[in-house]
Amino acid sequence: MKKWLLIIVTLTIGLIATGVIQATERNTEQPIKIGAFFALSGPASSIGTPTKLVAQMVVDKINKEGGINGRPLELVIGDTESDPTKALMVAKRLVEREKVVALIGPTRTDTGMAVKPYIEKKGIPTVMTVGGDPVIAGGKFGPYKWTFKAPQRTFVAVKKIYGYLQEQNMKKVAILHANDGFGRDGLRWLTRLAPEFGLKVVGVESFGVNDPDMTTQLVKLKNTGADVVICWTIGPAGAKVAKNYRQLDIKMPLFQCHGLPDPKYIELAGDAANGTIMPSTRLMVADQLRDDDPQKPVVQEFIRLYKEVYHYDKKYPINTHSGYAWDAIMLLTIAMKKAGTDRAAIRDELEKIKGYIGVSGIYNLTPEDHNGLGTDSLVLVKIVDGKWKLLEY
Amino acid sequence: MIAEQLPQYFVSGITAGSIYALIALGFCLIHNATRIVNFAQGEFVMLGALTTISFVSDLGFPIWLGAILSVFIVTAVGLLLEKGPIRHSKDASPLTLVMITVGASIAIQGSGMVIWGKDAHTLPPIGGYHYIRVLNASVIPQTIVIVAVVTVLLLLLYFFFHRTMVGKAIRAVSENSEGAALIGIPVRALVTASFGLSGAIGAIAGILVTPLTTMSYQSGLMLGLKGFAAAILGGFGSFPGAVFGGFLLGLMESFGAGFVSSTYKDAVAFLVLLAILFCRPQGLFGKVQVRRV
Repeated sequence: MKKWLLIIVTLTIGLIATGVIQATERNTEQPIKIGAFFALSGPASSIGTPTKLVAQMVVDKINKEGGINGRPLELVIGDTESDPTKALMVAKRLVEREKVVALIGPTRTDTGMAVKPYIEKKGIPTVMTVGGDPVIAGGKFGPYKWTFKAPQRTFVAVKKIYGYLQEQNMKKVAILHANDGFGRDGLRWLTRLAPEFGLKVVGVESFGVNDPDMTTQLVKLKNTGADVVICWTIGPAGAKVAKNYRQLDIKMPLFQCHGLPDPKYIELAGDAANGTIMPSTRLMVADQLRDDDPQKPVVQEFIRLYKEVYHYDKKYPINTHSGYAWDAIMLLTIAMKKAGTDRAAIRDELEKIKGYIGVSGIYNLTPEDHNGLGTDSLVLVKIVDGKWKLLEY
Repeated sequence: MIAEQLPQYFVSGITAGSIYALIALGFCLIHNATRIVNFAQGEFVMLGALTTISFVSDLGFPIWLGAILSVFIVTAVGLLLEKGPIRHSKDASPLTLVMITVGASIAIQGSGMVIWGKDAHTLPPIGGYHYIRVLNASVIPQTIVIVAVVTVLLLLLYFFFHRTMVGKAIRAVSENSEGAALIGIPVRALVTASFGLSGAIGAIAGILVTPLTTMSYQSGLMLGLKGFAAAILGGFGSFPGAVFGGFLLGLMESFGAGFVSSTYKDAVAFLVLLAILFCRPQGLFGKVQVRRV
């Protein structure tokens, strides 16, 4: 009788123990959810869709290499439809229903500004992939305790161009900008930083990105006696400017902003693209990088995965923006490896990241600088015979 | 200094204006036959451009063949729009029909995104990039082609509506569709024909402007709005008015940018538009609507 009881008790304890062990094992293997919301439809979808693909690619890579301290990452995807209101709804769904630990995205600056108050209030560490600075500018744009961003800030690109102009002993610049948020942000920094580099802004013109013709503005700038024209816009409008520039036979060099290095620019502008100079991430000139460039292996690995393993380049050829989702997730990964899944701890660790070598640059974050990229993250490229040429480091 | 820049402002305005004029023509065609505004007009422009691009870049057709095929395809889309949702709508009040065209516009845009992806595309310009210098202005041959096509289209439309039986019948339908039906004019068939014709004109507009503006699945919307404004300016329904309104809008934008400031160029253009409509609510070439009680 006693023997039987002993056997039963042993068996029961054994069963419970294995159950507990299995349960804990499952717990350690439970994925860490990251919400990724981009413009998968609407006007910004040509940027948002490849961003999503890259995000998935880097998550696969991290999981193959063992995940975050043994736990895999899981991406929960949302579509902002390029719409600020939708973006906020998606962010709420990801945080409240999907219980994600952190967020990456959205794609556009105005969608980023729409979700920022919510993520700041809720305390969700978020690495944005938006172009504009206001999300991490502070001041009248609100606090940015929880908000980070992977792409270079506008003034970094402006400084890169201005540094080169100073070297070339250029004195007078003419500015042509899109009259949207992105273009005006560029104008603000271009005018503010000019004196620091001994430059004088001699003409400012603007255009709507859907305008069919910009020759009126360009002919005004042509007659200002400027040494260079700097154009600040993204998308097909930049190619239209280049074509009109060639049509008017303007001799001074044309600079475009860091948003335009994209094979599409050459495709749309054709021969008129030749001669344009722009600041770009190293992705556009990966084959021309110096061997001692610390980013070279990272950039090459990225391109290998993108082209040879995932074959994304057929539909979405690599452009200067391609790496931002990679860097956004890598930054979160670095923070989570140290902090686990506590949101406040992740946020604190994000601010402490120093010297992370990413695809888009080397990140050194501080509590004030939630981006961490300097002018060294950009190179100047020039289009020669329809090819991207590294002009200057 | 300003006198030197003047010719270029003019060329820039004409370039943009000719595009608006072509799109405005399509609006007028459907409006004249049905008294509704077809908000899918911009989508016809986009479809025409992108199907041509597919034929030329993907299938390697010569550009003229691609253009002709694409005009036929978009004409068919216009016919289908009328034969399907417009004709079979249970409630045929103008507002319902306009909402149907808005729906069609969204549907065509969505299909465009699925078929051609989200990127912008372009076509090589006719006559290449051999810029012509006139006074101080530089003109791309494509602009001359567009202006020529607009002129020819306008003459053809005039001939069609004033000299042919079908054209006269369409005008009769637009004056009074019940009366036209009573004297034996096949009203429905003519309405269908106008949708087809406006599809064709939209497609031609798209093919012509793409080398200058590039085209993506969503470009039709903005072009459609500008064309709509041009049509209103000229007096909705009047063909010479549509063309004149298009050129005037383009020139106002360009001179507004040149003389005032490019920041306020749209504001200048639309202020003038408002002022004109304030003085002449029927538009520049519009007939005064007499409403019988």
